[in-house]
Formats: sequence, structure tokens, C-alpha cells
Amino acid sequence: MSHGRAGAPELKDSLGATPDALADVLRRRGVSRRAFLNYCSLLGALMALPPALVPRLAHALEGARRPSVIWLSFQECTGCTESLTRSHAPSVEDLIFQSISLDYHHTLQAASGAAAEAAREHAMKENAGKYLVVVDGSIPLANPGYSTIAGISNKDMLLDTARGAAAILAVGTCASYGGLPKADPNPTGAVAVADLITGKPVINIPGCPPIPVVITGVVAHFLAFGLPGLDDLGRPLAFFGERIHDRCYRRPFYDRGLFAHGFDDDGARKGWCLYKVGCKGPVAFNACATVKWNAGVSFPIEAGHPCLGCSQPDFWDGGDFYQTLAIPTENVAGLAMGAMAVGAGAGAAVSALNTAKRKTAKKAHETVTIENLEKPKEKAET
Amino acid sequence: MTAATLERGLTALKEHIDAPVAAFFSSCVHCGLCAEACLFYTETGDPKYAPIRKLEPLRRQWRREYTLVGRLGALLGLIKPLTDDELAEWAHLIYDSCTMCGRCTLVCPVGNDLTYMIRKLREGMAASGHARKGLVEAAKKTIKLGSPMGVQLPALNAQIRRVEAEVGLPIPVDVAGVDYMVILSSMEVIQFPEIIGALARIFDRAGVTWTIPSSGFEATNVGIQIGSRDIAEEIVRRVVEAAEKLRVKYVISPECGHAYVALRWEGPNLLGRPYRFEVIHLMELLAKLRAEGRLPLAGKHDQRVTFHDPCQIIRRGGIDQEPRDLLNEITEDFAEMPDAGIWNWCCGGGGGVSAVDEAEHLRTKVFSRKMCQLDEVHPEQLVTACANCRNIIEEGLEAYNKDIEVIGLTELVAEYLAPDETAPAEGGDGS
Repeated sequence: MSHGRAGAPELKDSLGATPDALADVLRRRGVSRRAFLNYCSLLGALMALPPALVPRLAHALEGARRPSVIWLSFQECTGCTESLTRSHAPSVEDLIFQSISLDYHHTLQAASGAAAEAAREHAMKENAGKYLVVVDGSIPLANPGYSTIAGISNKDMLLDTARGAAAILAVGTCASYGGLPKADPNPTGAVAVADLITGKPVINIPGCPPIPVVITGVVAHFLAFGLPGLDDLGRPLAFFGERIHDRCYRRPFYDRGLFAHGFDDDGARKGWCLYKVGCKGPVAFNACATVKWNAGVSFPIEAGHPCLGCSQPDFWDGGDFYQTLAIPTENVAGLAMGAMAVGAGAGAAVSALNTAKRKTAKKAHETVTIENLEKPKEKAET
Repeated sequence: MTAATLERGLTALKEHIDAPVAAFFSSCVHCGLCAEACLFYTETGDPKYAPIRKLEPLRRQWRREYTLVGRLGALLGLIKPLTDDELAEWAHLIYDSCTMCGRCTLVCPVGNDLTYMIRKLREGMAASGHARKGLVEAAKKTIKLGSPMGVQLPALNAQIRRVEAEVGLPIPVDVAGVDYMVILSSMEVIQFPEIIGALARIFDRAGVTWTIPSSGFEATNVGIQIGSRDIAEEIVRRVVEAAEKLRVKYVISPECGHAYVALRWEGPNLLGRPYRFEVIHLMELLAKLRAEGRLPLAGKHDQRVTFHDPCQIIRRGGIDQEPRDLLNEITEDFAEMPDAGIWNWCCGGGGGVSAVDEAEHLRTKVFSRKMCQLDEVHPEQLVTACANCRNIIEEGLEAYNKDIEVIGLTELVAEYLAPDETAPAEGGDGS
């Protein structure tokens, strides 16, 4: 796993737009150094960093200037922001996140209208090439009028804002992969951030919503070490490197074949595996089973509900949430019947041919005796 | 036609490629596990000895003749037909370095019976004149004289008379209507005739009626080894005819691995009909007699012994517990080698390899596997239940300068028969 250590110092400096270092802000807010170091260790452990790197993380975060962040909300439900702000407040990760210079955020900012847009433009100009763009929500392409802010279409705003950004964080499944707006039949022609952005690093932090500490963890990694190692779907491997299923505390039941078959049966009461009531844990990459939610209290499976696989692309179109993974989501019956008929026909023809060939060979069989076990002398010598 | 030709070999392969063979080749996942299961690979480290590779000619013939892609490939000249030169090259892999011990079959994760396929491939080799000379000679001797080592009735009679004098018991020959018919491998008649005496004493004690036939007494079947149904059928027919003429209830397969397979599994298929008697392996019979309380044993063997499971008897026959129960009863210090039981390693000379001169060097080399097993338990004696294993192991131990005595289980059991109080004439001859 690469933690993108190269280039980290410049980023740290380049993002230092606002004068206050993080450490100063935290101290002013009454966060002790011990609490801060604890947080760094936790973060380091979550991201599976070697222990030796924790001091480096602390040092980097301490010295980090508050980066300017522009938060763009497109076709979304504000759940991602809710997740972040209304989690188990007040926590260190909340403070960290508030301690970036959040220069523009629809939901959170006091300004509105022209003043709000002016703040965005100001931040872009002041921190050109250095600011972070966080996006939640997908972008409609079918008609620019489907979603606009201050008369600017989402697509134009994203491309305009992204131009001078150091990196873009797509927070939530909508921004990462299109999410609910992109679900079949996708009436708005919704696309993900990465579908529009070229030439800039895009980090996907999917989830519906994503786990708060995962968002802050990625930000911290970005500040300390630069771009984290990503999987083929653009997700940080530190949090999305393992399947829920592989880390699930109910996994031993799966291995022993003990399943809940409904939500009120004996298996459900005993806390057996939810695979048969539709758990998507075996195909979902996320940190829910290890980091959990609400300050590590629980996660959906622990609450008795199957995983929906919300960190995976197109999870809305993956069939019934309560249908086991083993059942195909497409209607394959007709196709299968056709294929079977063709296969059976071809098989019968081939086997008839082969049987005939074998029969011919049998007929051609000449009894092997001790007289004909050897080749004729002259032939054997050539 | 009186000579073997490539044409006949290829026809034989076409004839012997059946649905299981097609399924096996189609389902091979190329995992290579069979290599690690084969002592010819583990002891040489040469990948050419991977069992599935030995089957390459059969696979090619199957692809060319029976698969769509293969047929197209053959039309386009991409899949070349098998040639005499190739088969000659492969003879080393098919005859010298495969004992058909079945360990690869057991380990195959998709259940491919590689042994079954080697057996079929040998049909093509024999029909095309690529069988090893040693096996051809053995086949000739068996068909003409009755036994691969040329043992004929006078030789058997001589041994019988000697044994009778030694143990003081009559050896019944050609007695009709008895329960059991004993057949022997010529290795036993020549090298280990003490087995006959052991049987006489055990059967006398257990009250078993038995006989040796004067014709069809040879248990080994070189037809199975060389790979010829036709020859195998003729050899097995001799035994079946003898048994049915003498109207016995059981034919006892002796301490010989492939003889057991030939008679018990292949025989009825070769003849195309069920037998009018049952085939029972000597180990099974001894276990049965013991369970019925007809085999009183006394005393304990004080040497440290181990047991070598003959491949065909353990893997193809499933005879696992019987010899162990007997050994536990009559020995004080019985130690199992690593991999004992169903995973036991072959002696290296089964499946006809012992009759192949070209294989001798390799056979001795791969005996190192048995040496590794023996080095774990350091026995004073090795007990087995196959005359061929016994012979090969004796040779191997000599080559490796190891001083371990090799004995047959039946003889050991006979030595520990409890003295018979009801028959004073026998005296203390039993130990």
C-alpha cells in the first residue's frame, strides 16, 4: 500500500493558505496535546500505518496550515454532511474537520446568494492551485437545469472550481459513483465526479453516507503524506481494502453454515449470519465492520440488518436489498432455457458423432496377442 | 495382421477414450498437485514426471478426435497427430515412471482418476508396439507357459512337497467343492514359498477348507500391467475357469497388489459377466477369521516393526484396518511410518515397473522416499502384504545399505498362532 509520501511537504506548505496552524486552533479550542496525539495514533492504526509513522503524522498535522476547502453539494440529500457534523459531537475528528478553512459550504455557511458565491470565488482566487474541493452529490448531464446553484449548472460549477484545485474528494456514493440519482432509469443523466474530471487527483470516499472518521482520516492522510494508495475504484485502500464480510463478527456463523432465514426466526435471534436475508457484506468494501459507527458503538449488521453494500457502485440496482447474493439479479431464465436448448442440441450431435467414431474404432480393434506386441523387425530398426 | 503398428495404437486410444476420460481432461485445472503426490517427481524434482504430463499423448488424441477445437486444430494442422517417435519417447514416462499406485488420483482436487487414464494409455502403447521389452517377455511367458517368471506346475509341485515336509500338513491341490481357492504370484512360489506353509497352518487351525488349482494358479496379470484387455482377459479367464470348475465359494487374492485389482475389479468387466464365486483378499479373510474367533493368536513379536501398505490394496481396495488389527495383536512394538495408510508411498516397483529393465536405475533412485519414511521410525522389520513390494523393498534396502528385514504379514500371523491343545500330534510347532 502506497501512502504517497513523496511530495507531501510541498502539499503541506502549498495548502497553508490561512495563517493558523492546526495545533494552535486545537489548543484554542481546548484540545490537549495528549488528546491530539491519541487521535493521531488512532488514525494511524485505522489507516494501518506503521507505528513509526505516527509521530510523523502528528508532526505533519500539527504544522499543517488550515487548508482552504470548498465544499460543493450537487444532486444529494445532505446525508454526507449530516454524517460528518451530527456524528458523535464534539469529537476530535469533528474539530479537525472544522479546523480546516471551510470557505464555502451551502448547508453550513451563513452567507447566501451573491455573497456566498463571492466567498467561493474569493477562496479560489486567493488559494489558486492549493485548495481542496470536496464534492457530495452527482452531476446531472441530461439537462443542466435539473440542478443549479445561483444559476450555475452543477457541471459548470464543478469544472470551474476544480480547475485550480490541488485535489478533489468525492464524498459519498453519489459523488463517487452516481449513487441514487444514477439508479436505473437515471432520469437526470447523473454521473460521478471522476467521470468529468481529468488531470486532477480524485479520491472517492463512498458510502451512503461515508463513515465520518474515514472522511477525516483521508483528509489527515492527504495533509500529512499526500495522496493515499487507491484501489481500482479510486477508494483509499486503508479504509476500503477489505470486504465487510471478511471482518464481520458474524463471519464464523457463515463459515459454519448457520444463517438467519428471516428477521424473526431463531437464527436472527441467535445473531447468525445474514447472508440469506440479503447481506451484501461479501461484495462490499468498507470499514464498517472494524471502525463501526457512532463512535464505535455498532454497525448495521450488528444491529441485525444486512449490509446494503452502499460503498459499491450501482448498489441501488443490485436487486432486492433482502434477496441473497446467490440469486441472479437479471432475468436469466429465458436466456438459460435458450442456451440449454442450443447446448443440448449441439451436445447430442457431438456425442452422436463421437460415439460413432468410438464404435468404428472398436470395430477396427484387432486382438492384441503376444504375437503382435512388437513392431516388425525391419521397421523397428528404421 | 501380426505386428504392432502406430495405426493400431491410435485406434486403440480412440476406442478407449470414454466419457470419464473426456470429463477428466476437461475438468483438469492444471493445479499440479498430482506432481507432488508422485514419488517419481518428488524424488527427482523433474517436472516431466508430473502424472498429468505422462498422459499427454492420450490428451492429444482426445483433443484431436473428440473435441471441436481439437478437430479444427487438426484440420488446420495446428494439432499434429501422434508419431511413433513421440510414443517411443513417452514409453519412459508411461511404463518406467508410473506404478499406477493411485496416489495422484487420490490427491486430485477435481477427482480425476489419473491411474485409470494411464491404464488406458497403455492400451495404445501396447497395440502400437511401444510396450517395454520386459513386459512383452513377461506376457509371452504368461501366455505360453502360464506365469510371467516361467513357473510351471512341476516347479509349484516341488515347492508344495518341500513345504508339506516342512510344516507336516497336506497342501490340497485340485480338491473340488472346498470353500476357498488359493492362487499365488510366481514371485511367491519362487522367492517366498514360506507363504504356502503359513497358509496351510492358518487354515488348518481355523478349519478352513481350501485348495490350490493345478492350472490357473498364477495370480499376477501382466495384461493389466502392459495395458492389454485382450491379454488380461485371457489370463483372468484361466483363474475364473479353474475356480468355477472346482466349484469354490471364494478365490483368495494373495499378497500381491495388482493381482487383486486384476481379479477383483477388472476381471468381471473383462469377461463381461459376474463371477460365480467371490474374490476376497487374504487380509480380509484373516480379519474375518479373527472376528469369528477362528484365529487364536498367542505371544508377541518383540521386534520393532512397521507396516508398508501396498498401493493397490490400500487405495484401490480400501483394506486399511485389517492388517493393523492383526499387527497390534501380535506385536509389541508396532510403529507407523509417516503417510502410512491411504497416503502411503509406493515401493516404486508396482504396475509392471519391476519387470522393466529400463526403469531399474530410476526405481532405485526414487526408493529414497521409502527410506525417508523408514528413517522416521527406525524399524527392525518391515511387514507388508504384497510379494512384489516385498521384493522391491528388499532390493531397495540393499541398494541403500539398510539392514531391515522384510516379512509378509501372513507368515508373521502364522508364527503367532496359539498352540493347539486339542491336537497333540502337532506338538509345539506353532511358534
